[in-house]
Amino acid sequence: MNTRYYEFFCPVKVIAGQAALEHIPFELSSRAASRPMIITDKGVRGAGLLEPVISACEESDQEIVAIYDDVPPDSSTDVVRAIAAIYRQEKCDSIIAIGGGSAIDTAKAVNILVSEGGDDIAAYAGAGVLKRPLKPFFVLPTTAGTGSEVTSVAVIADTRKQVKLPYSSPFLLPDVAVIDPRMTLTLPPHITAATAMDAMTHATEAFTCLQKNPLSDAYAAAAVRKISDNLLKVMDNPKDSEGRLELAQASTMAGIAFSNSMVGLVHSLGHSVGALCHLPHGVCMSLLLPYVLEFNLERIREPLGELLLHLAGPDVYALTPKAQRAEESIATIRKLRDELHKRCNLPRTLKETGKVEESQLDRIAEMALDDGSIMFNPREVSLADARAVLQNAWG
Amino acid sequence: MLARRIKPVALQARKIYVKLMMEVVGRSLQAISDLDPSIREETRVLPDGFLFEMTVMPHGPALVMQKLPKGRLRYCGEKGPEAADLSIRFKHIAHAFRVLSFQEKTSEAFAYDRMLVDGDIGYALRMTRVLNRLEAFILPKLLAERAVKEYPGNLGLSEKLLQAARIYLQVASQFLATVKLA
Ligand SMILES: [Fe+2]
Repeated sequence: MNTRYYEFFCPVKVIAGQAALEHIPFELSSRAASRPMIITDKGVRGAGLLEPVISACEESDQEIVAIYDDVPPDSSTDVVRAIAAIYRQEKCDSIIAIGGGSAIDTAKAVNILVSEGGDDIAAYAGAGVLKRPLKPFFVLPTTAGTGSEVTSVAVIADTRKQVKLPYSSPFLLPDVAVIDPRMTLTLPPHITAATAMDAMTHATEAFTCLQKNPLSDAYAAAAVRKISDNLLKVMDNPKDSEGRLELAQASTMAGIAFSNSMVGLVHSLGHSVGALCHLPHGVCMSLLLPYVLEFNLERIREPLGELLLHLAGPDVYALTPKAQRAEESIATIRKLRDELHKRCNLPRTLKETGKVEESQLDRIAEMALDDGSIMFNPREVSLADARAVLQNAWG
Repeated sequence: MLARRIKPVALQARKIYVKLMMEVVGRSLQAISDLDPSIREETRVLPDGFLFEMTVMPHGPALVMQKLPKGRLRYCGEKGPEAADLSIRFKHIAHAFRVLSFQEKTSEAFAYDRMLVDGDIGYALRMTRVLNRLEAFILPKLLAERAVKEYPGNLGLSEKLLQAARIYLQVASQFLATVKLA
């Protein structure tokens, strides 16, 4: 699998590590921003994650002009419009998104409206509609998983028309991604595991699907290593601030990898399971990953075998004959899932979720064929193939 | 413009080849959608009248297909009656040439960002599967395996139709030889 051509783009300034939050005032001022608005959700506020951000700013005489803390898990065009109205009323000049995928996507869409004007966010849907930079935009991820802080896409539901609006533009990329261990320290075990497995899937798919390239490979491999080395440690000791930081960085690195080497069938199937059975995205990723790798195996033997070094470490890699490394990589991922199941009941099969009916598998397979990510899967996927993978993942 | 002075014949020939192949693809799609139920299975869900366009930036060549009832496709030539509902645009004639001369798979061309999709991504995936199946039909097996990710095992089309399509293709591939010489 030689990539004959590739594109790689990531203009996001990453500020990461101890006391990273305290760099926010300087980064704002260096972009001539003085009136930031925070966009977040109730969970983040409830977990007390706003206080360290606000106090880091206030200590530096940086006022936070407005806070919107009511982004729902499935954000909508109405929410985006409401937030944009507050932004304008308070004469804000920049956005700080704090949260997971929904808060970050919402903030991206708000940034379109407040930069381009108007109230009709649907008018900007699609690829490449935006032609110029938006307002200064900072992102503080609070789940180490989605990688949204380094991606150029957002999805917003139009609840009235019952459609999901996709947005894709390099101008949606944040100016700054802030990775501070304080932001993920209180993440509950179940979410820590699921979101880390989402990041693991981003990295694994970026490393094995059609857009793989030398730059995305470097980020993907390093992300797999950090997750393999730290996930169980953090599960056993949730206050391990260093381990938390490693997972958060891994998530960002996996995000950089997959935004430059698109994910494949795990995501096509996972998006459908998530939408039809209302399961969290990370849970779908974790349970589908080994079954899709098995399906793709003969096409990805070489890169998947290479990943063993990062999944299991140099000793296991050296002791495993080259011809068996790909299988061993899948086995290592299965072992990790077993350990996570022991610690927080993270489901390993569709049946274990308790939320999927076997009768739904046909519909899930059909829907997966319409998911854009399927184009980048190394193996062509027919309806029967998709159905067969789901059957294997059933349990 | 400088390149044109240096290799005018080759560049001109490449453009004519792409134009010709667009027509081959368009006419074959129309013929095969009449005969192949698997292709109609993919196209049936498109709204009737739906216009699909494959074009080269900035000024073509192009091919436009219109969806008729029961999943049939009609070749409209270079221009449709209205703006297309779904458009797949090659960024450069060189990229279209690579795909249409079977040096690069359609899925690779997507992966390499050679094309832009404007419209519903689910529909775009369907049309890509239709194009893959078409390539499997009209190309000799060896060439087709290079052009699509997986060569389908169940083609089962009448030899007659295949011959018809291959005649178009022969014209095109003779031309391709000329281009490569140029
Ligand atoms: Fe994901």
